[in-house]
Amino acid sequence: MFGIIDNAFLSIVAAAIPASAVIVLAATGAMLNERVGVLNLGQEGLIGVGAVFAVIASLQWNVRSPWLAMLIGMFAAAIIGTIFAFATVVIRANQVLIGLALALGGVGLSNQLGNGRTGSPISTLFGKLDPGSAFTKNQFLEAFLHQDPIVYIAYIILPAAIWFVLFRTKHGLLVRAVGESPGAADAVGSNVLGIRFAYTVLGTAISGAAGAYMVLTITPTWSSDIARGRGWVALAVVIFAAWKPFRVVAGALLFGAMISLDTTTQARGWKLPFFNAVNLSFFLSMLPYVVTLIAILAPAGAAKFGRKTRATDAPASLATPYFREER
Amino acid sequence: MSLPFRFARRLEVNNKRSTSYRISGAIAGLVASGLLLLLTSRNPIRLLGQSLDAIFGSQRGIEGVMVQSIPILMCAIGVALSLRMKIWNIGSDGQFLMGAFAAVGVGTKLDVPHWLLIILMALIASIAGAAWILIPALARAYWGVNEIITTLLLNFVALQLVLWSALGFWRDKKSQVTQSTEAVQAVLPRFPGLDSVSISFIVPIVLAVLFWFVFRSTRVGYEIDMIGGNANAAEFAGINVKRRIVTVMLLTGAIAGLGGMLQLTGAPGAQALSGGFSNRFGLSGFIVAALAGASFAGVLVAGLFISAMFYAGIALQTKGLSVYIIFGIYGVVLVGIAVGETMARFRLTRTDPTSAATTTGASA
Repeated sequence: MFGIIDNAFLSIVAAAIPASAVIVLAATGAMLNERVGVLNLGQEGLIGVGAVFAVIASLQWNVRSPWLAMLIGMFAAAIIGTIFAFATVVIRANQVLIGLALALGGVGLSNQLGNGRTGSPISTLFGKLDPGSAFTKNQFLEAFLHQDPIVYIAYIILPAAIWFVLFRTKHGLLVRAVGESPGAADAVGSNVLGIRFAYTVLGTAISGAAGAYMVLTITPTWSSDIARGRGWVALAVVIFAAWKPFRVVAGALLFGAMISLDTTTQARGWKLPFFNAVNLSFFLSMLPYVVTLIAILAPAGAAKFGRKTRATDAPASLATPYFREER
Repeated sequence: MSLPFRFARRLEVNNKRSTSYRISGAIAGLVASGLLLLLTSRNPIRLLGQSLDAIFGSQRGIEGVMVQSIPILMCAIGVALSLRMKIWNIGSDGQFLMGAFAAVGVGTKLDVPHWLLIILMALIASIAGAAWILIPALARAYWGVNEIITTLLLNFVALQLVLWSALGFWRDKKSQVTQSTEAVQAVLPRFPGLDSVSISFIVPIVLAVLFWFVFRSTRVGYEIDMIGGNANAAEFAGINVKRRIVTVMLLTGAIAGLGGMLQLTGAPGAQALSGGFSNRFGLSGFIVAALAGASFAGVLVAGLFISAMFYAGIALQTKGLSVYIIFGIYGVVLVGIAVGETMARFRLTRTDPTSAATTTGASA
């Protein structure tokens, strides 16, 4: 019934949705950090730590439930995140340096721990939810809806919950105030350092879930440098999405689609005029980073040329430690 | 805040205290790394002994550290230069790779005398390195786009381009197994009396001394430091801040790019471009610059120290160390440096529960 083009499109969609969920989760974690004024450049390391502990849980500790394995990965990332939060929020050390340290150290740690486990297949994977026969009859709907539960959590439940808390509750107002104007938040009696600390650790746990999800669904085995730049793409997605939960989902989907376009093209050996398969593959692997760069530059450029500015979207106190005396 | 202690800003931060706090932080990071190694049932004291033996036990070890230090120092000098302006160039890895990429293009295609080829390669590599930071530099100076993520994203593009050239359009077709470009024939001569170190070792030293002088006694250096201190004040004083930012960033890219060419023509066994050409030298260079606090005399000392650590990680791969562990240790050391840097600017004082309202030290 469907021609080859439709099938190809559907296979890209079916692969892009889980692939993008990794970026959705990491970007959501990073966004939560940045919403309270903490710039966490360590996403790459958190993805690695989340992934390697999910691998260890599954292969070595005989954890049979993917949910539990993911929680273990999240917990490990949160422990690293607690150190990060202590250094950046309590000690108030330079967030760029500590973030890079986390990226470096997290990748080093996860590669070292995963080193002997490269290639061992993981069997505790998330199964796909059956959306019901009403939907699976249509190939198009099936490609979209026949996904595992984490996809539904990452795309709908988590952003909705974060949106509701941030924008519809009094607590959320204080959380945003801590990121925008910690002095004002402090003046009305909210615990600035406590909120920063809590949301930093929470964000790192969600970023860890991104790594755990990778090895529990997408590439069900450990390989070194597992994040492969997705952590940095996630940070760019947050900027692109103007720190808004559902825009993060849309941005991540765009970049995830580019990444899976690359893998689908490689798997099928597609060619374009002037490009053989090798060239096309390298060109496509560059594409997400180039597009990410353009996505960061475009709003600033548009603002410069007199269009509506988006420069004020960033939390005003981003990457600035809070000292009460300097209020 | 209900913490039992609080920070009070020091009214004056002197360089000596800042340096000693950063070094203490780095040492604390190393000790913490040793404890972590103990947790993974490795003996950190024995590894340290073996590392020192691998480095200082033979001429080969010392030369190995020197060979590692050339690319690391080149990247570090570039990063330190931009850090003077409080600009974070995290893309020196990409600029390094693009320098080597351009140098391979010239070095394997042009048929001219080797001495001329070396000069041309150095030129084109510097230009390529500068070109690779042009967009982040313009965006930072004129559009106010933060340079951290833009410089970093270009690392991945550069790496893909290098892989593409090594496996695709410049692949060495004479050999079926290699996954690299052809090797360049024009190489730098060895340092007199040494087996593996090329004369390129003097380039970072000359650059560091040059910049030390520029920042100590020239107007340009003073203006750059002024921009780093307070860009608004510098603008008000009549300095063209935007143009200075672009110039300095291009220069940092050019230095990293030249580093790529020096590696290509100087390091043993690195005459062809492949995916593993840069062993994340940019990241090592970044840590060197952070540890040195953007002081150029400090960059040389910190650069040799970090290079020695890196060399030990490679030399002791069979004895329980690995490059992964070295990167892990880097992370912990970097945390130590950053915490030390903060501590130097603040005093830790106990919170006095009876008079919590009065502030001591800093003024609002």
